Amino acid sequence: MSTPEPLLEVEQLRVEFETRAGIVHALNDVSFSIAKGETLGIVGESGSGKSVTAQAVMGLVDLPGRICGGDMRWRGRSLLGREGQRYGRSIRGKEVAMVFQDPMTSLNPLLTIGTQLCEVTERHLGLTRAQARGRAEELLAAVGISAPARRLGQHPHELSGGMRQRVMIAMAIACEPKLLIADEPTTALDVTIQAQILELIAELQQKLGLAVILITHDLGVVAGLCHRVAVMYAGRIVESADADALFTHPAHPYTQGLLRSTPSLDVVEERLASIEGTPPSLLDPPPGCPFRPRCPVAFHRCLEMPPMAPVIAGGEAACWWAMERALPENAFLGTAD
Amino acid sequence: MLQTYGTARAGTAPILKVEDLAVEYPLGKGFLWKPKRTFSALDGISFELARGETLGLVGESGSGKTTIGRAVLRRVAAARGRIIFDGKDITDLAGEKLRRIRARMQLVLQDPYASLNPRMRVLDIVAEPLLVHGVVRNLEEARPRVRELLRLVGLPADAHERHPHAFSGGQRQRIGIARALALKPELIVADEPVSALDVSVRAQVVNLLQDLQQQFGLSYLFIAHDLSVVRHISQRVAILYAGRVVELADREAIYTSPRHPYTEALLSAVPIANPSLQRARKRIVYKSEVPDLVNPPAGCRFHTRCPWASDRCRTEAPPLMEKAPKHFVACWHRD
Repeated sequence: MSTPEPLLEVEQLRVEFETRAGIVHALNDVSFSIAKGETLGIVGESGSGKSVTAQAVMGLVDLPGRICGGDMRWRGRSLLGREGQRYGRSIRGKEVAMVFQDPMTSLNPLLTIGTQLCEVTERHLGLTRAQARGRAEELLAAVGISAPARRLGQHPHELSGGMRQRVMIAMAIACEPKLLIADEPTTALDVTIQAQILELIAELQQKLGLAVILITHDLGVVAGLCHRVAVMYAGRIVESADADALFTHPAHPYTQGLLRSTPSLDVVEERLASIEGTPPSLLDPPPGCPFRPRCPVAFHRCLEMPPMAPVIAGGEAACWWAMERALPENAFLGTAD
Repeated sequence: MLQTYGTARAGTAPILKVEDLAVEYPLGKGFLWKPKRTFSALDGISFELARGETLGLVGESGSGKTTIGRAVLRRVAAARGRIIFDGKDITDLAGEKLRRIRARMQLVLQDPYASLNPRMRVLDIVAEPLLVHGVVRNLEEARPRVRELLRLVGLPADAHERHPHAFSGGQRQRIGIARALALKPELIVADEPVSALDVSVRAQVVNLLQDLQQQFGLSYLFIAHDLSVVRHISQRVAILYAGRVVELADREAIYTSPRHPYTEALLSAVPIANPSLQRARKRIVYKSEVPDLVNPPAGCRFHTRCPWASDRCRTEAPPLMEKAPKHFVACWHRD
């Protein structure tokens, strides 16, 4: 899906965390872009770097972590460097907003919903208290909360988990952002509530023309909502494709393994396919492709890091094996052993 | 007259039988509340579990699935009803007799980070039940058995000298399973055993649980909120809503022809990892008024949300009725 004007471009981004045990390479050469109205799903397991990606975009990477390479641009202007950081502060929370996983801990338990919602618009849009209250009521209604005027006076503990997540979304869209980053927005919720929240995000996206980055470990959540999907493994994007292509023709062995090991609601298999082993340590990643130690089709070429390359229509993957299969005439790239 | 609710293996005596179980939690003991206020966590729960069978207990938060597991293991007291383990009524057992029964049923917990003591070595963790129940006299005696258990769950032989922090989430869950297996139990209550694990690792642990079941003829009460995993591992499934079983049947029947309105809604909300299928699905939506379990509604606990609710549903609680062979549904209207 090529669009003329990308909102956010991330290019070759690298993030490191300095720990007592050594340097953790949390993000390695992560590149993606997102345009108006588009939904990008970022899928990965714990430690794959999906949340760090969001934190980097939101300027939340803090010591001992640091961005040590690459670039991030919002509407063409860099967010890095002294000038970029100032620019970043002016757009974050306003043009780019974020919803976190746990609505229990991301709201202040001591303040009413109204106070927390008004704070956003007073600060970013310079509304007066009275205007902000009016706006807050509109926002709560927009995210499907009944009796908004009464809710404004309530504290977070008086709301259910799903309600709290709706309040978080209301806060995020308060300044009419262009991009909404949702980091595991439904992981803490029950399935029926999860479905409601996902429907709300889809609806807001249509109405407000939002771009959405949806970060999740759940392939099912991505399938319903996203136009494009990026799969992360060990701090890298290993495959990125149109959602339909990714789910029907996954190219990277890791994506294939993930899809196979997800039990399905409609087909029962005798035994689940699993990916043997565990993700590599990011302190001391193995040479070459990070998935090589667990990969069933790895060959000698995989000791060298594969670049992202187009392997299917509408998708690319970082995998020598997929590349060979996609382009048989390129077999000289490597010889299977 | 007692209704039976079928097991996957007809003819054999069930390892576990739960009859009309109710559990109530008191709400506050102090002066703030009247002492009589209780939270009705479970009401009228009945099911059977055959040897070697897996029964999946599915429900959303607050549905009482964890409480069922705790009541079966006698960790919470039953307000009403009976729990029959291997033909013996254990509802009121106490002291040494209860201790001996407890050795035959074990628990695997959800969070592999919180359920293992970080200051104990794997050896201490896995040997603890053996020591507590006097199977071995000291750690040295336990060592060969621990080694054997670690091998069974697929952990390296040198694991027993290390501490939990040296292991990944999946490996920790294997340690928890090894501990549960130490006393050669017949029943394992697995409370969300794979919910905290990553997809690729989750499949490994699910496969391990299935292998161990085959090898030792274990019976599982498999508690989970993830309907896809439950479908994979269970022979029969019970769907819980607000402390009651609303539907109980073979997994195929539950997933292909659900009969209770709540089961239908629940299944329709599960996202499928297939974009075209997912877009084509229609979600069944009901009003989202979760019943107050401090003052549970009379009649069917789902009636506040059910579009088919009639006067009867509001006054009389439907029991589990056999609407098709071995397919039990607690609904006055659905056949």
